[in-house]
Amino acid sequence: MYKEKDISIDFLGIHLDSPFVLSASPSTDEMDMAYKGLREGWAGIILKTTSVEGNEVNLKNPMMSSFGLMSEKVIGLGNIDLISKYHINDIEERVKYLKKEFPQKMIAASIMGAKKEDWQSLVLRLKKAGADLIECSFSCPQGSMGEEAGKMLAQSIEATEKVTAWVKEAADKTPVLIKITPQVTDIVEVAKAVRRGGADGITASNTIPSLLGIDISTFEPYPSLFGKSSYSGLSGPAIKPITLRTIAEIAKNVDIIISGNGGAFSWQDAVEFMAVGASNVQFCTLPMHYGFRTIRDLKSGLAHYLEDMGFNSPLDIVGKALNKIKANEELPDIHARSEIDTDKCVGCGLCYIACSDGGHMAIQWDSDERKPAVDEDKCTGCAMCMQVCPVDAIKMREKSGDAIHYFVEKR
Amino acid sequence: MEETDKPLERVEALLEAERCLYCFDAPCEKACPANVPIPEFIHSIKTNNLQGAREIIEIAHPLIETCGRICPEESFCQSACIRAEVDSPIKIRELHRYVTDNTEPSRNLVVSVEKKGRVAIVGGGPAGLSCARELRRMGFETVIFEKKELGGIPMQQVSKTRFPESVGKREVRFINDNFVTEVKDKKIQSIKEIRDGFDAIFIATGLQEELDLDIKGKNLKGVYFAAELLKFARASIKTPVGKRVGVIGGGNVAVEVATVLKQENNERDVELVYRRGLKELKAFKDEIDEAVNVGVTMQFLAIPIEIKGNGFVEGIVVRRARLSKPDASGRRNFEEIPNSDFFIPLDTIVIAIGQKPADYFEELEKTDKGLIKVDYNFMTSVKGVFAGGDIVKGASTIVESVAQGKKAALSIANYLNGGKNV
Repeated sequence: MYKEKDISIDFLGIHLDSPFVLSASPSTDEMDMAYKGLREGWAGIILKTTSVEGNEVNLKNPMMSSFGLMSEKVIGLGNIDLISKYHINDIEERVKYLKKEFPQKMIAASIMGAKKEDWQSLVLRLKKAGADLIECSFSCPQGSMGEEAGKMLAQSIEATEKVTAWVKEAADKTPVLIKITPQVTDIVEVAKAVRRGGADGITASNTIPSLLGIDISTFEPYPSLFGKSSYSGLSGPAIKPITLRTIAEIAKNVDIIISGNGGAFSWQDAVEFMAVGASNVQFCTLPMHYGFRTIRDLKSGLAHYLEDMGFNSPLDIVGKALNKIKANEELPDIHARSEIDTDKCVGCGLCYIACSDGGHMAIQWDSDERKPAVDEDKCTGCAMCMQVCPVDAIKMREKSGDAIHYFVEKR
Repeated sequence: MEETDKPLERVEALLEAERCLYCFDAPCEKACPANVPIPEFIHSIKTNNLQGAREIIEIAHPLIETCGRICPEESFCQSACIRAEVDSPIKIRELHRYVTDNTEPSRNLVVSVEKKGRVAIVGGGPAGLSCARELRRMGFETVIFEKKELGGIPMQQVSKTRFPESVGKREVRFINDNFVTEVKDKKIQSIKEIRDGFDAIFIATGLQEELDLDIKGKNLKGVYFAAELLKFARASIKTPVGKRVGVIGGGNVAVEVATVLKQENNERDVELVYRRGLKELKAFKDEIDEAVNVGVTMQFLAIPIEIKGNGFVEGIVVRRARLSKPDASGRRNFEEIPNSDFFIPLDTIVIAIGQKPADYFEELEKTDKGLIKVDYNFMTSVKGVFAGGDIVKGASTIVESVAQGKKAALSIANYLNGGKNV
């Protein structure tokens, strides 16, 4: 055994033994899975979205599909899932049981309703069952009980504020998270509406409406249900950069607690989510793909990172990157040039071809020596060459007077 | 017998293909004698455009199926692979074969309908077939003179476990059906036999005679040349060799015949008897690996002195050698160790010390080794008569012969478009 570093946090008054929580998803839809996930070490769980009895849930299968690149099959995971087929009466029982079995873990539930009475009765029943937190799905891309058919609740500013207020009224002291969608014109306006409605926090964000692919021999979209398909919610590594931006925009503009969700696949991704303002991070595609066991590396990776960086708590990371995100016109003028480490260079010529066809034709190619050379007059310092170098032999160099600065990207 | 090399599955091929850096001005392509645009075809594997990948290889390389199986990649493309500097070189030949295994010969190769001239091609091996395909594409009639089966060395001297007969036959048939005007079953030994009726001649006869071992006892029963045994094996006829076989030589043919004889009868002991060491073997890595895998043993630093026997072979006396200074190519030479003779009991001896050119085409200038002299256009000392392949460069590889056949075809076309006749 090793001595364990304390990576616990306080999230909306709830103690989490790590910032890593299982998000409302198939991974939390069966009682035994919820139990197993918590046993394996996740700090908390948000049970898959439920609704009141009478709302029949007709799940279509195969619901999962994915897109990849070459041998990597799953860069993005798609689902045409809906809310849980289990209704509130089942979920109440689960909350009670899990809370009893795991008093130290966060037991939360996700809900979706149509009418005010539905939302409020769901909240009251969960509160009574002992839920630590209630998350409200305003953003299931596949089927949401929005104001208008086919529209997500969180795509309407007015509805978002109104329903948030209903929920919070019933929840009272129980913390409420509103789960929004990145599929809006202005994410900041939505987050402000959530805040005005009185929610304690916001879950940013959800899967992204997408179409996973087309079988080009039959023209059937994926997943194909006898030739027919529907738009999927996209999750996984593919959407991480989009989620990063969503969280950052909200954190910079709205004073609200954020639970990061959508595309985190490692402890590093989680650190990035927190650096732009998330206070904890939810996971779905990672455990769905590789299992609940992935929590071990998330916790150990984060612990070592905190140690290396000299941080006491994961919360020390929150927002660390925010003041570095600026509007384009606020950025400094830089006259960097590409600098190629010819000892490291293996002579593949990819920087040459990238600069020739995608940069400013500033790299010359010595065909005999197989070495690139930068024409500093032509080089604009765009850094395209740096992106394609397979051995990281290229840095961007800025000289001002005697001072030299290198622009690098760590992978 | 089953092939020993297994083709790549799609996932394996993708994993390997995506390791390819897609180098600009790629060194692998330059190291390939046929200049196959390797990064381009590997990129097409990545996008699952396998027929497109095939077209990229096939236009550069008429014997696409053959080389996808037996080209010694470590000597050519792979030796220049930049990825080796990151971790390990790309398995280029395996990817090449992944393409050929999963595609059909391209029907889109443009063949000119013109009849610009008629060219005699003497020899239907890799050089001759490649030259024929290129000439026919450019609008020349091609007549191949071949006494044996078309295909040459790969069809005659490569074991079926490395190169299945059906694959070779299919490839040769495709070239024959589409790019050869006529095949004449006739052995040609001098220019004057084919002087009339042709606008140019391409000689690609290869090395037709076996080098003999000049030692006592070589006429005993149980001494064979490698080529005759390989012919038996390719024809699936049981070879007449015994239970304890010594193969003398260190080139591809020696290693190949040793492998084939061991595969034929696993109870049989097959030992390679070679004057130098493992590193000096001229055979390609794949061939040596296969021989070791099937259980061929190697007697290195052993110089054959005398074959002993009484009517039939009973064994061979060999003298111990030691490695001496490297020659110009860096390959270490050997020298005898006095009083070190020893006897290896054997019932069969196979001579596989190389081939030499036959003494034909006396009208042409030759080198002191009897190879045909050509200029950089592959033209011999007689105008309009061209030559290429092993008869020009000595024993080499299929891909080098293919390359010479291609280049000679261009020279012949240039020559004929100049309006001259033989």
